[in-house]
Amino acid sequence: MSLLGRSGGGPRRSAVGVELDDIQATVLRYRPEPYYGTHVMLHVDEAAAGRELLRRLAPYIDSAADWWQAGNAWTAVAISYPGLVSLGVPEDSLESFPETFRQGMAARSDALGDTGPNDPKRWDAPFGTGQIHIQLSIFSDDRAKWHRAMETARQQYQGLSGTAVLTIQDFGAQPGDRNPLGYKDLIGQPAIEGSGVEPLPGQGRPIKAGEFILGYPGEAGVPLLMPQPEVLGRNGTFVGVRKYQSRVGAFNRFLQANGQTEQERELLAAKLVGRWRSGAPLTLAPGQDDPGLGQDPQRNDDFTYAEDTHGRRVPFGAHMRRMNPRDTALAQLADVNLHRIIRRSTTYGVPYDAAALTEHDDESPHGIYFIFLGARAMDTIEFLQREWINNGNFMTLGDERDPVIGLQDEAGIFTIPEEPVRRRIHGLETFNVLRGGEYLFMPSLSALNWLAELSG
Amino acid sequence: MTTQQSNDTEQQAEKLRELFADAPEPVRTALENAIPDMQTRGSAPPLESAGRIGKRQGKVSELTMIAPVAPDATKRLRTLLEMLGGNFDGAEKVGTVHDMRFVFLDNDTKLLFATAYDGDWDDYISDFATKIPDLMDIVFSAIQGWPGIRDPSIKDFLVKYQIPADAWYVANPDLTVVETRRLQRVGKALDEFLDKIG
Ligand code: HEM
Repeated sequence: MSLLGRSGGGPRRSAVGVELDDIQATVLRYRPEPYYGTHVMLHVDEAAAGRELLRRLAPYIDSAADWWQAGNAWTAVAISYPGLVSLGVPEDSLESFPETFRQGMAARSDALGDTGPNDPKRWDAPFGTGQIHIQLSIFSDDRAKWHRAMETARQQYQGLSGTAVLTIQDFGAQPGDRNPLGYKDLIGQPAIEGSGVEPLPGQGRPIKAGEFILGYPGEAGVPLLMPQPEVLGRNGTFVGVRKYQSRVGAFNRFLQANGQTEQERELLAAKLVGRWRSGAPLTLAPGQDDPGLGQDPQRNDDFTYAEDTHGRRVPFGAHMRRMNPRDTALAQLADVNLHRIIRRSTTYGVPYDAAALTEHDDESPHGIYFIFLGARAMDTIEFLQREWINNGNFMTLGDERDPVIGLQDEAGIFTIPEEPVRRRIHGLETFNVLRGGEYLFMPSLSALNWLAELSG
Repeated sequence: MTTQQSNDTEQQAEKLRELFADAPEPVRTALENAIPDMQTRGSAPPLESAGRIGKRQGKVSELTMIAPVAPDATKRLRTLLEMLGGNFDGAEKVGTVHDMRFVFLDNDTKLLFATAYDGDWDDYISDFATKIPDLMDIVFSAIQGWPGIRDPSIKDFLVKYQIPADAWYVANPDLTVVETRRLQRVGKALDEFLDKIG
């Protein structure tokens, strides 16, 4: 099965400029449709046991060779800083990792603006405690294949003394692959130079591989600093995981309070994101939903904001326009190609229900393991949190925050440009509450072997 | 004022009197004159940190750097700055810079660079490296050992020479450069409207 450009047959190939057979599949392979999978969080008590675990797992970790074909389920592995320490990585090597990564996401809460309801003190265990050492993720487009891959993984870690399973979280299996607020997601992704596939229409010029994979030149023309030795850093990347609880009741109540009819509510839901729930972008379908457009990877990302300079289709504060402003004229100088992320998010829990309106619904477990990858993932998420999510200055929106993932106080506002005057909606709440997070390192396959063979 | 607070300000006044005990008589008198005013105003909110280094008041941050000048670089930079005559097109585009100043110290052997800007110090350094690299390199290559704005260790290089302020006053700590520009536009539009109906 091809993962890209389905309606137009296979993806258009282009030159490969990175070592696909050494890079983990998840770095380049899109989340399949439909999708099923599991995240397993593991702890390493004894270095030798941790290495044994990696040795056992290594044959089952998929490379990105032919990443655009996804016949089987695949498994990915990522390791936290405490994980690297407990595996016995030598001190000088540990010191070569970025300071933010070494501190970990919980310790960076000030820089990330993770305060109040998002404060690490309120996170679900074991997030933020330093116990999560290894994350295994299994992705599949088929239930049976998922179960088989999960069984294979389990055979490697089950009962291995000196290691322990902390949590197991299944994800996916959502009707229509919708996310917890009822939207189709993971449409907009960066095109990566040298990945072997032509960009999809509208994806923009391919971004230099070094922004996403360590060891290659980035947008400034030079490689980023990389963990040492080279075999450990090269072809690896950093991963951020942020576990969100979606307050579906609050979100639905907000739509009810600000939309009289079903149609008004759906339009408001589309304005908050920039796309209808079907995925159809407001730039191309401003007046009403177009589910066929939303489904079509050849068309559903094929737009810029050149025709929408006043934000009358996609408001400047819409989640999608904030997270990737494309050609929007920004009030602050920024290189939009430096703040892109690869997203591999996974939805867990009960599917979206438009009739869920109670505070009880806010707490029933459903949400997103938001997962993003990049060679400077820690810098990127801190930048996004400070500048583009919990801030409106870059779009001349003052203190307005991202309507989907912003941390709102009582005065939360969302501006919708309209003729003759803009509409301002008050009473935005924090619709997605942070309940956990980790910074992880996703090693190359040769780095995985290097780690497994460490001694001492 | 609660009893607790008045005790605190009384203690602070005592501490100041001790510190100034050796100061000349007119200074001590000045201090006594100023103390009642300081006590009624209470203490200002503490300065926040502007990320990795430097201080912040509300949305505005400060940066002061003193760095050794590369041989022969003084003349280059001074002439360049004179030609620009304070017209920094690049800073205008950046949209976060309130002001910038360049001062040569110690017989032109050191450069003092000071600026007030919005947000966090290192958020935009990598953007400068891809959007305005030439401008950055032309100006800052005056610093001895400047590795180039594209160098991946550039942030560490800059931090070495930054000195956080001990004290710093900002009149409008919540007004960013962008917001100021917006308010100017709004004010102008409002005046035009009032002119029409008035
Ligand atoms: C936790 C709840 C979240 C929800 C419900 C959500 C929802 C969505 C939806 C519906 C879209 C439009 C479809 C698509 O292109 O994928 C989108 C796009 C996007 N989101 Fe989120 N998102 C969430 C969290 C985040 C976070 C935490 C970030 C980044 C820190 C983020 C970054 C992005 C980006 C980069 C895009 C693509 C924009 C583009 O390329 O045009 N999202 N999101």
